[in-house]
Amino acid sequence: MLKGKVSLDVTNLDNFEYDMSKCIKCKGCYWVDHIYMSGVNFSTRCPSATRYMFDSYGAYGKMRIGLAMLEGRMEYSDELLKTLYACTLCGACDVGCKRNLDLEIELSLEALRIKAVKDGKGPMPEHKKVARKIIDKHNRFGSPYQNRNQWLTKDIKVAARADVLYFVGCSAAYVNPEIARATAKILNAAGTPFMLMPDEWCCGNMLYSVGMIDEARELARRNLEAVRKTGAKTLLLSCAEGYRTWKVDYPKMLNISTEDLGFKVVHLTEMVDELIKQEALKLTKPVDLRLTYHDSCSLSRLSDPWTPWKGERGKWGMVSPCLERRRGSSGIYQQPRDILKAIPGVELVEMVRMKENAFCCGAGRGTQEAFPDFAAWAAEQRLFEARTVGAEAIVATCPWCKDNFARVAKETGENLKVYDISELILASIEG
Amino acid sequence: MAISKEVYKVLEAIVGEEYLSSDPVVCEGYRSGPSGYEAGLGYERVMTKIPGCVILPLTTEEVQKIVRVCNRYKVPYVPYSTGWYGPRSHCHVDDELLIDLKRMDDFEIDEKHLYAVVGSGVIYSQLQEEAMKRGMYIIVGGGGSQCSAIANMIGDGWSPLSYRIGLPHRRILGTELVLPDGELVEMGSLALQDDPFWGDGLGPDLRGLLRGFTGLRGCLGIVTKMAIKLMPFQPERLEPAGISPHTSLQLPVNRVKWINFTMPSKESMKTAMFEMARAEIGAGVTKVPIFWRAIAKASCKEEYWDIWSKESEETIRDFHLLRVLLVGFGSEEQMEYEERVLNDIITEIGGEARRTRPTDESWFKNADSAGMWLMCGGYVSVDYVIETLEHALPHGENYAELKKKFTPPLMPDYGDPGWFQSFELGHQGYSEFLVYWDPDENTDGVDQFYLETSKENIRKRFYTSLLGPHQPLYLTGPAYGPNYHKWMLAVKDEFDPNFLSHPPVPLAHDEFVEKAEWMRPMKDWEGPQITK
Repeated sequence: MLKGKVSLDVTNLDNFEYDMSKCIKCKGCYWVDHIYMSGVNFSTRCPSATRYMFDSYGAYGKMRIGLAMLEGRMEYSDELLKTLYACTLCGACDVGCKRNLDLEIELSLEALRIKAVKDGKGPMPEHKKVARKIIDKHNRFGSPYQNRNQWLTKDIKVAARADVLYFVGCSAAYVNPEIARATAKILNAAGTPFMLMPDEWCCGNMLYSVGMIDEARELARRNLEAVRKTGAKTLLLSCAEGYRTWKVDYPKMLNISTEDLGFKVVHLTEMVDELIKQEALKLTKPVDLRLTYHDSCSLSRLSDPWTPWKGERGKWGMVSPCLERRRGSSGIYQQPRDILKAIPGVELVEMVRMKENAFCCGAGRGTQEAFPDFAAWAAEQRLFEARTVGAEAIVATCPWCKDNFARVAKETGENLKVYDISELILASIEG
Repeated sequence: MAISKEVYKVLEAIVGEEYLSSDPVVCEGYRSGPSGYEAGLGYERVMTKIPGCVILPLTTEEVQKIVRVCNRYKVPYVPYSTGWYGPRSHCHVDDELLIDLKRMDDFEIDEKHLYAVVGSGVIYSQLQEEAMKRGMYIIVGGGGSQCSAIANMIGDGWSPLSYRIGLPHRRILGTELVLPDGELVEMGSLALQDDPFWGDGLGPDLRGLLRGFTGLRGCLGIVTKMAIKLMPFQPERLEPAGISPHTSLQLPVNRVKWINFTMPSKESMKTAMFEMARAEIGAGVTKVPIFWRAIAKASCKEEYWDIWSKESEETIRDFHLLRVLLVGFGSEEQMEYEERVLNDIITEIGGEARRTRPTDESWFKNADSAGMWLMCGGYVSVDYVIETLEHALPHGENYAELKKKFTPPLMPDYGDPGWFQSFELGHQGYSEFLVYWDPDENTDGVDQFYLETSKENIRKRFYTSLLGPHQPLYLTGPAYGPNYHKWMLAVKDEFDPNFLSHPPVPLAHDEFVEKAEWMRPMKDWEGPQITK
């Protein structure tokens, strides 16, 4: 819709016609913020356009292709699906564009995937397999549902009822139990009682990310209702992808605002940072590491809270009522850094691309499932960047990032340790 | 497939299958519009096409081979570095090969002799950071940090910093040019030896051929490598800070400082520019157009219009803000000296210093050209002149008057007379006239205004930089030549006998006027016989 009624509803691509038609090809979505430009190396932030090189893989190309799809000028093909899905939806393009302009790039990309699914062409076959597992077994690995709490060890105290509900997520529950255990033990150490969901299901991050809006919405409704029933005041996550799904995607799908969820969505790093600053948690044991911090996209530039909006677009493209654009400014950037700096012995060195300019690890939003080579390539780029600043270890706040980095480091023989931040926090508590 | 299988196979043999595509999805990604610089206007709608095929060479040798294949099989082609320069850098004819040069991002820097050698894919902010790491700097043209350094050097990009170190073409050193038939021309010292340290070489200086005045958009060949002169800077780091969208460079104010001055009149700004030059102080200077301030203040499009709608002809007429950059290139003492002299000059003229943030958002590394699209969604600079300051001021005022006839569709700007500044320590004056419009409304008037500015320049004897491929060649050529157009085409014929390098440039705007029915009535000059 170029003028007239418009909303942020991603199920209708018409809503983003203006945004797609106003891309000026400045490639602010591709390059890191020029203020932070580090020279000829590490100068781009879009994994897709950096890897595949043709303009069609940058947001500037995708906006043009999306417009052609909307106008019925583009047939579905393998190349079109690759263009839509060989993309980490990491939000780098969105914050880059919104440094100067008011265009909704990330939402346009999400809407394009939703359209592809509605048209019966998307998602990719690999996504459909994972979706089946989520629907049948309530986790993305297809593991037995009854094993979901196997990560729990006897020394972890879980309350029957508490204000804090720890939503573990599929990754930490099934393949990264060290993250779930560390998170739980940190809470125990801080004296923060927490409970678990009586029957936790997958958050559906991947369903939404690949455009399966109906399935994702159904899961969102079910999960939201389940959390509300527990009476929790805070929903705690140790997974950045899950954090974004709960904080942003659920409200987006259900047409409510983040604050209308009925509870606060908090990532472990937010809670721990506060506990340290309140002196309720002391990090005393040294962790002698020179490490670098990787900003997981869904904790940083993708995590501005959601507020539904609908209105009219008029002259000069102005909208009414006022729309506060999500520019990635209120992401969780500083708290993880403050935590790491509070750990004795840690020497934190920044990578060239950091915060909103960070280069995605390549794992999320359906990329690893459908384009594993691309996901591995992105991780390799990031690990190389970490090594150039002399880091011994890379730390993330998301099991997706940790897994992808760890796998690639192992495959390539990269001599770099990979941690989730929860593990380092715990190490500094327990020694 | 838009080009024959045979040609495709030959091209594939040059670059490999990964770097060549004629897939409609890939080609659509290279569409010029509907938005961008000058996009959304008639020229873009009438004159541009999506490519029939896209190729990504890595080396000069590959470019040569590609161009030779194009000549052998009569395939039209256009070189493309970032695609930022709007429709004029995109395909204009069917089944055209777009040569995307982004993989050619080789970079070398010679700290001792103060120059960098860049490939076509290197952009300005990369070059600037590499230079600054080593105590040097270059001008990031107002076109933006995202410009290919080579393309912008050819197209003559400038900024307020051009006050001190001049126009870009003065910094073009040894250069590699692949001619439209595939022959390689090495310019400057490269013609003599494998060392691009110097711009002059054997015989006539061919650098003018690269650019005409403001770039020929590749119609006379493809520059694949260029050595660019860097200038010495001061030693302290300009530290990046902030989270997007509020990012800036923190300036070491003992060595680098912007100062804004409120001035009593436009004349007084001009006087200040001359006096600064006479005293040989300052690293940059510009008049600040009021709407730039509104863009900088606004957090979104709607807020911009809230701010802008409070302006009036009076506030615009009485707004005189001069922005001066001081750099202590040699020492802190130099900085202190220049600041004292500057304050004396401004005080004497009746100006007053305003509190100015110790940051740079827009000129050193980040040229915020993308912000020009915030308020309306459509933007182009209809004209820019590089002549004298005496010339620059009336040029802008004259355009402001002409613009009233075309508002709407142009954005109401209350008679703003454009942007002017001083180049090369007062020896040159610059005027640029930027216009904005709503691309979702009828834009015929914008096309007409663009052409009318050219006629106005001729009528009022204003010099213009927009010759060659930016206006009808047969309108501007006789007026500024008198044989500019004939020579241009003679050179084109000699270099590109098959007329394959970015056709129909340099006659593209002539063709546009012929093709667009809303433009045809404006044609009151003798047009070319377009045969190729």
